Amino acid sequence: MRRTLVSGSALFLLLALGCPPAADAQTRDDTLVYALQSDVDTWDPPNSVLREAIILGYHVFDHLAVRDLKTRRVVPNLALSWKALNDTTWEVKLRQGVKFHDGSPFTARDVKATFERVLDPTKKMTARGNHAKIKSVEIVDDHTVKFHTDGPYPIFVERLTALVMASEKVIKDKGHEWMQEHPIGTGPYKLVKWDRKHEHLLVRNDEYWGPKAPYKYVRIRIIPEQATQIAELISGGVDVIKAVPPDQIDVINKSGQARTASSPILRTAFLQLDQAARSGPNPFTDRRVRQAANLATDMDGIIKHVLNGLGDRVATAVNPMAFGFDAGLKPYKQDLAAAKKLLAEAGYPNGVDIVYNQGPPTVEPGLLQTDEAIVADLTKAGFRVKQNYVGDNTVFVARIKDSKAGPMFSFSWGYYSVFDADAILYDIFKCKETYAYYCNPAMDDLIIQGRSTLDQKKRAEVYAKAQKLAFDDAAYLFKWGLRGVWGISNRVDYQAPPDEVDRMFLVTPRKK
Amino acid sequence: MKAVSARGEVVLEADEPAALRAGPPRMSLRRLWRFKWGVAATAIILTIVGSAVWAPWISPWDPLSVDIRHRLGPPAWMDGGTRAHVLGTDQVGRDLLSRVIYGGRVSLIIGVAAVLVSSSIGVLLGLAAGYFAGRMDWTIMTLVNVMLTFPFVLLALAVIAVLGPSLVNMIIVLGIADWPLYARVIRAETLAIREREFILAGRALGMSHARLVFRQILPNLVSVIVVIATLQVARVIILESFLSFLGLGVQPPTPAWGNMLGEGRVYMLNSWWIATFPGLAIFVTTLAINLMGNALRDWLDPHMKL
Amino acid sequence: MKRYALRQLLQLGVVVVGISMLAFAILHVIGDPVLLLLPLNAGKEEYERYHKLLGLDKPVYVQYWKFASRAVQGDFGKSWYTDTPAFTLVLERMPPTLYLTSAGLVAALLIALPLGILAALKRHSLVDNLCTMLAVAGQAMPIFWLGIMLIIVFAVRLKALPASGYGTWQHFLMPAFTLGAFLAPLTMRLVRSGVIEIMNMDYIRTARAKGVGENTVVVKHAFRNACIPIITVLGLQFGQLLGGAIVTETVFAWPGVATLTVESIRNQDFPVVQCAVVLLALIIVSVNFLVDMIVGLIDPRIRLG
Repeated sequence: MRRTLVSGSALFLLLALGCPPAADAQTRDDTLVYALQSDVDTWDPPNSVLREAIILGYHVFDHLAVRDLKTRRVVPNLALSWKALNDTTWEVKLRQGVKFHDGSPFTARDVKATFERVLDPTKKMTARGNHAKIKSVEIVDDHTVKFHTDGPYPIFVERLTALVMASEKVIKDKGHEWMQEHPIGTGPYKLVKWDRKHEHLLVRNDEYWGPKAPYKYVRIRIIPEQATQIAELISGGVDVIKAVPPDQIDVINKSGQARTASSPILRTAFLQLDQAARSGPNPFTDRRVRQAANLATDMDGIIKHVLNGLGDRVATAVNPMAFGFDAGLKPYKQDLAAAKKLLAEAGYPNGVDIVYNQGPPTVEPGLLQTDEAIVADLTKAGFRVKQNYVGDNTVFVARIKDSKAGPMFSFSWGYYSVFDADAILYDIFKCKETYAYYCNPAMDDLIIQGRSTLDQKKRAEVYAKAQKLAFDDAAYLFKWGLRGVWGISNRVDYQAPPDEVDRMFLVTPRKK
Repeated sequence: MKAVSARGEVVLEADEPAALRAGPPRMSLRRLWRFKWGVAATAIILTIVGSAVWAPWISPWDPLSVDIRHRLGPPAWMDGGTRAHVLGTDQVGRDLLSRVIYGGRVSLIIGVAAVLVSSSIGVLLGLAAGYFAGRMDWTIMTLVNVMLTFPFVLLALAVIAVLGPSLVNMIIVLGIADWPLYARVIRAETLAIREREFILAGRALGMSHARLVFRQILPNLVSVIVVIATLQVARVIILESFLSFLGLGVQPPTPAWGNMLGEGRVYMLNSWWIATFPGLAIFVTTLAINLMGNALRDWLDPHMKL
Repeated sequence: MKRYALRQLLQLGVVVVGISMLAFAILHVIGDPVLLLLPLNAGKEEYERYHKLLGLDKPVYVQYWKFASRAVQGDFGKSWYTDTPAFTLVLERMPPTLYLTSAGLVAALLIALPLGILAALKRHSLVDNLCTMLAVAGQAMPIFWLGIMLIIVFAVRLKALPASGYGTWQHFLMPAFTLGAFLAPLTMRLVRSGVIEIMNMDYIRTARAKGVGENTVVVKHAFRNACIPIITVLGLQFGQLLGGAIVTETVFAWPGVATLTVESIRNQDFPVVQCAVVLLALIIVSVNFLVDMIVGLIDPRIRLG
């Protein structure tokens, strides 16, 4: 028996220690290490809904247009220029001399094949909805394409940043399944190896058409636990991490190994109030109650004390960085007396019972902490808040869609990285949309007007009206525009990106 | 026969039913001295239970009262600590001492209630399997094996998703997860007892199954059940923290030791006290329960092999 | 013996099928995977189209039947997220978890054997109580807490070990110890009670009476027989180890199948969850079966029981 045990443990040891060590061809000096909280599901970005897939996509693929991180405007990339020929036709000129990683040149045929693949309704492409306004793609010559759209499509240019260009040859010859694990793009890096849920190894594409990336290798490690990510950063194992909780900033800055950087990001946080009575009759169908909630909370204090100033107080759900944002609206200020008075007028002189459905802090930094502070403020004004925390995001999102999240729930919206008011108003405030707990025909009119013209000046006016309407009607409980926090090793230089898309090809060794 | 808990704690081997050997416990000072650890442990547990029961009178603050201007305050004896918050404050400025006291309330309720649920199910099924044997036994033991092999997380997620997160549902999840342990142990004991003369005699006299099981067999198993149940209370308290790690535990803002520990783990690099004090509470409680359980076992039946 | 083996084997089959059915039913109860597969802004038409593509418009039992009849042939379908075969995904992630659990077992034995024997020999002494306390400390410490503590001490402060990851032997030390600490208390108790029981047996007394040295008695006679319950329980523990593995893998960024399973449950990636649950159940159940067989061979009383 003992022998069995001894040989058994020997076997375990052998199994444990004998597994092959990873081959380390690259050295620490020419390698950059970036950490993500969870892995991508696929290397085929249009087949994924994850932000991680967008980030990885930027390294291996190129888009027709990209965002200039300084001006935050969309600028040419693989496309050299675009113009609207009429309300439903756009002409796009393409860059010449660009090569895919397999050596084949990038032409108009690739653009057509890429769009047609995504638009094919018989394929399981999750990005289809984002581009469904495009009816067809027409090849004019090798480096010119025409897009025909279904009605006016004002965010056409914005959406050019949302699709990576794949090669026609790969789509036709290799097929969908192959593409899930083998990205062939035109981007600054090539994929060497993907060890699922563990790490990706990228090597620089030395034939890249644009500026060369400073680091030869990029390792992208998957580290789910936040505490572990921070430990790796300050012990020198990782160079860049994102989504640092505000409370951990001092840990990183005091470590001597790394520092933090923050940037406003395209994500607005607010509390949805069930004005549309989707989950049944509730006090928030009365505008005075919604206003009272807004007057009850001291958002400025919360931003200052809980978030260490990492939030931008707004009077509109439209993010300050998005097209159509109206800076003229002034946010609510805390006024408990006024809040109580409004509640009394609405028929609740002794306060009102409210259920608050809270989601887990998956995207919003410090959500649990700020939520506690908001609830404490609401209580002072007479809202007897019963907190219903749902710790699992899957369950939480399903509840929202299922009309079970009312009368009040925590929410934030990331615009799908489209810097345009339409990208939030349509999804969150148009009657009967999946996430809309607000319904107002006047608002619907404005939203429809805004998306049916290409005249940007007119659109800006329409959106200003929509934001005024939402504010006057206290459509939701206004919070703030979020800021992202990055942890950056002291051996590198890196700018925090406002679109939450980390680009490792912009990281440079730190000058001493 | 060997048995092990659903989450792997108590182990019991009873080739011969332990209960049958139990003599009536006798009290003497010397005997009591042998159980000095157990007595000390019991005193600690009584203190903890007492403070949980009288939490509203003992705790200096409301455990839910938020004060964002005094967040992450260190314990009183450290630089920057104040006497108002002896153990410091948490990430939204709630008093940690009050939360630990109230958290004990929730954790103990969960522990005791979940054990009541799991022991009831487990004992009934164990008795049925052991007493009726044959096909009934096979079916129940297969069920036990399914339970032992089934991913607990999946079960927890399903219950939370369908019933919503609440204290009661947490108790249901933990109760369901832990019953196979009791079933295994009770089955083994019952199998042995049912062949004893007094049962055979009872059967010959035409006693009903119910009477035989509940009047004749069950009383012999009480001490085993009590000992396992005691130890499982400690187990359940820790399991709750595992669920909190997955976001499925007791939902904030209600304090429970498990979820305080889970939420505090991000702060271990700077505000270590947030996770440490509830952790310490779990440690002391579990230790005391275990020492008491061991003593209880030795007292009820020195030969019971747990 | 043959009948016993057959009976156990039959049970094994029923357990695996039962688990797959339970898992399937529960996944359907949790929610709607299409909601998670599509972008948040997808419309109703997209939703319907996708629903149909995945075959979710059919009743649950039809879906299960389709799944089961294919699974028997080793085809668990393609992951809805990655469009790669679920079987490949699960198999790819299996080795790290097996390495981790094995290393954890070894660590547990290294801690538990000496302490358990010591506690048994010095029963009711201070040493025994200290060992109990250590064991309780081990179980009272949630493993995520222990894991993060180890990282802070050994990676951040001492810079002696890599904080997380997978690859070299250094990467093994902290996760293996963490998981070992999770399992060790139970093993220690077992060793202790096993040795105590056997030390009271007649043949040990005989050996002692014959003048055999105390060390020889302990090692040769007592420990050997105490192994049976330990092996049994370690077999059963294997399933429970996976629970510990979920946390250990998460904390140490270990690319194993335990976290894959949890993630797939959250994503409601039915094919992957099904495949993982069935394969893991198969492994656990086979380990238990082997253990039962071994113990049954050694101790005939059990197979008659």
